[in-house]
Amino acid sequence: MVIVKRKELSLAERLYLPEVARALFTTLRAIFSRKVTRQYPEEPLPKTAVMRGQPRLVLLEDNQSLACVSCGLCEAACPAYAITIDGQETDRFIEREPERFEIDMLRCILCGFCEEACPKDAIFMSDELELADFSRAALVYDIEKLKRPREALAKRIDYFYGTSDRWRKRSSTS
Amino acid sequence: MSPWLVMIVKTILIYGGVITLAAGMTLAERKVSAWIQWRIGPNRVGPWGTLQPLADGVKFMFKEELMPAGANPLLFRLAPVMAAAPAMMAIAVIPFAGEITLFGVRTTLSIADIPISALYVVAVGGLGIYGVILGGWSSNSKYSLLGGLRASAQMVSYELALILALLSIVVLTGSLDLRAIVAAQAGGIQEWNVWRQPLAFVLFVIATFAETNRHPFDFAECEPELVGGFHTEYSSMKFALFFLGEYVAMIVMASLTTTLFLGGPEVPFWPGAPWFLQLGAFLAKSCFFLFLFLWVRWTLPRFRFDQLMRLGWKVMLPLALANVFVTGLVVSLG
Repeated sequence: MVIVKRKELSLAERLYLPEVARALFTTLRAIFSRKVTRQYPEEPLPKTAVMRGQPRLVLLEDNQSLACVSCGLCEAACPAYAITIDGQETDRFIEREPERFEIDMLRCILCGFCEEACPKDAIFMSDELELADFSRAALVYDIEKLKRPREALAKRIDYFYGTSDRWRKRSSTS
Repeated sequence: MSPWLVMIVKTILIYGGVITLAAGMTLAERKVSAWIQWRIGPNRVGPWGTLQPLADGVKFMFKEELMPAGANPLLFRLAPVMAAAPAMMAIAVIPFAGEITLFGVRTTLSIADIPISALYVVAVGGLGIYGVILGGWSSNSKYSLLGGLRASAQMVSYELALILALLSIVVLTGSLDLRAIVAAQAGGIQEWNVWRQPLAFVLFVIATFAETNRHPFDFAECEPELVGGFHTEYSSMKFALFFLGEYVAMIVMASLTTTLFLGGPEVPFWPGAPWFLQLGAFLAKSCFFLFLFLWVRWTLPRFRFDQLMRLGWKVMLPLALANVFVTGLVVSLG
């Protein structure tokens, strides 16, 4: 059994009103203190490389074809079943590419498992966060909406390689 | 000009002003709460958020009217009106300023000058509880019922202290007329009743908080345990009416405190000030108490119900009674 010894209140504290005055003074100071509100759309949050935004597909140096070879590992890793891939063959040096690569942004939980699963470093978590549209169908992003030039994701890619030597030693997208 | 026309114009002007002030209070409530919590508050609708009450009003208009199954249709519809009307009626006798002359018409800036105005305010203000009780009772909901019951117990307990505090002023002045009470305080700040009756002033202010169901005595609403208390089942403009009633009641109580204890429309250090300055002084004093309502709400936590009852019956009532007794003794002994 724990016996809690309560603090003896002084007369001023038991009268209550002096303590009320003290409390009012505290909140009065808060009224004139610096405000911490961030006016969101005008003052966006600072974006850092460690932040996981929505996943995006990296383009090769030619800025046309994807680094993705449609192996399906990200699809398998995705805990939210947000990714759908259909692959096809190409005449390029990299023989395979996705014919269809869709991420349902309404299902995506931004966990970053796809990024970690990818053996070709073709998918990365971007710093894009805002997600709003008028229909659910419009929020299932296809290749056209997902592809980004390498520069757009450079900060995240550098950070990602830096976090583990495992990634640095392996051949990159080229 | 006919006295009827003057009366109608005064009524429209004063009620327009009071309802505008009540709408402003809803904005002020959100602004003050935001500042106290280090936030900015509404600032998107109009400059500095000034059109927020209008946006809220439009939103209320478009909300769906709901009535719970098993609710008493007549009482359920009547309750919001019963909550808002008495507060509005009490405004009628508040003397906002002394005599004014506008467009060749001499009149006083209050809707009705009746010789028993202090009694009238208390009597009409006491009716406000019916709206809360009926709203809680007719909703056929346990939360509403509990909220209504608590509100009634609380209002009865604190009305005693409120009226006794007012009574000591009446004993001191020897009149139930609010204008006479204001006149008795004329002649500088040192003549104000707040110095002659400091205990009554404190008791009165505390009782107004309980009377208007504001924090720390808002047991009728009690969001965490009673969902919303008596207005749980209300939506749309009926809900808005309850809030209008609450804010108008706050305005009544703030103006009454000003009238009884702070010399009403008297401008400090300037006896014969023009009427608009008197009105300004009255509004400034009342706005301080209105701000106090908001300030206290966002400062103090809610009492426990037994604490509320103990404070009401064991502290406020004996103090108020003793105050009236001593005041009466001093006045009768000269």
